[in-house]
Formats: sequence, structure tokens, C-alpha cells
Amino acid sequence: MECKVRTLANVVLIEIAGRIDHGTAPAFGSALLPHVEGCTGETKKLLLDLGAVNYMSSAGLRVLMIAAKGCRKQSGKMVLAGLQPTIKEIFKIGRFDMVLESFASVREALAALAPAAVASYDKS
Amino acid sequence: MSGHLTTPTIDAVERCTQFAAAQAHEAGFSLARVREIELMVEEVVANICRHSYGDHPGNVELSCERLDGANLALEFIDYGRPFDILALPMPDLAVDLDHRDLGGIGVPMFRALVNHATYRREDLRNILRVIVHAAPRLRSDSAAS
Repeated sequence: MECKVRTLANVVLIEIAGRIDHGTAPAFGSALLPHVEGCTGETKKLLLDLGAVNYMSSAGLRVLMIAAKGCRKQSGKMVLAGLQPTIKEIFKIGRFDMVLESFASVREALAALAPAAVASYDKS
Repeated sequence: MSGHLTTPTIDAVERCTQFAAAQAHEAGFSLARVREIELMVEEVVANICRHSYGDHPGNVELSCERLDGANLALEFIDYGRPFDILALPMPDLAVDLDHRDLGGIGVPMFRALVNHATYRREDLRNILRVIVHAAPRLRSDSAAS
């Protein structure tokens, strides 16, 4: 599991790749949860690109839930992008699709979150 | 084809997952279904470590038997306190984010991924027998075979 972090306008884009399972979920949490801090209103928004995640067990879903709850408590926004079909199905089983907003692509998510970030993304 | 693994709880999730994946792969299951079986095994073994052993050390045994071309039987054995994953309640998933529990998602995931499962308590052992078919249970338009 690897995480890369980029800042585009007021959006922190976290690109995650690989496998999020029982073994890697703690590292996923350590990489993600510090970014929840300060995620509030228009100040900072979180966008998780899961396009390169090919496996996610309940251990990974739990980390996402903790992050989403943390953002929500601060009136912050965290969205997901690029879920692979199998991950989408897992989200449906756990009804995560009802509580976590997701977009087909990072670009679509940025357009919804902060249009100013789209130009930076297109240039990168 | 059959195989057997005994592993201490400390790395049981990883070892059982890898073992089951190798067995399913060898049986000719698609990559999509192998991943589903990995998910199912991860949920079962993590729950055995947590509930049966209460996060104390113990052993987990996993055996795999090929029943026919399209079915595998996986049998999980542990020596902890009585624990039946099939009896765990389904979490309430219909509530909003504020009211969602952090745990419990492994139960619906397990149920969604297996074709048949039985539990019995025998000689101070928990024995969970799971049958998985080769056909993926989840829809996946990019399923690699």
C-alpha cells in the first residue's frame, strides 16, 4: 500500500495504491488520519483517489469510516474517487455508498469540490 | 487436491489468506474470485483471533479440499472459546454516518462471499466449514480471469 499526497487549491488529494488489508490498514490510517485534522468547511477538503486500490477488506473500510466521521464532526468534506468495480461492490455490501460520496474520476470529484483545483490538476 | 495449514494467531490472517488464495488459484478460480476468497478468509480469521481467542495467542488451522471442478471446501479450526461467526448479528447499516458503528462490516461481507457455511463445536474446537464456488459472487466488469 502506498499513499502520495498533493495539494490542489484547498483540496488535499491523497492517491492510494495497492492492497488495504488487515496488515496494511494501520499504515493506511497513519497516512490518512493526520489529514483529517483541519478538514473543515471550505478551508480544506479531502479527496481520496482509490483508483489504484485493488483490494480492501473491512480493516480498510474501518479506517475510511473513522476518517469520514472525523471530517463530519468538523463540518469538513471527504470524498472518494475512482473506485474499482469490486471495491464498489464491497461498498454496497456495507452500505458505504450511502454514507460516503464518491465520483467516477478525480477530475469529476475536483470539479464538484473546488473548481479552482481542476486547472491545477490538469496542468500536473 | 487438498492442503492443510497450521499457524499461530500472530500472523494467521496473512498466512491463511495467502494459503487460501494459492489453493483457489491452483483450482483454476478466476483472479476476481480468488480476491473474494481472500477477503472472506481475512474476515473469518480476524474474527477468530478477536472473538475466539480474545486477542490472546493460539493456533488457527485451515484445510482446503477440492470437491469437484467448481467447488472448494475450506475448514477453519481453532481452540478458543465457543465462537460461531454465523451467529454474529448483522450490523444496522441503514443508519447515517453519525450513527454507524465502526465494526461489524465483516459479517455481511462474509455472508456475501460464501456459498454455504456450517459451524459446529466439537472436542473444545470451533469448526467452521465453508463451501465456495468458482463463480464470483460480486459483480466486476473488469474481472480478470
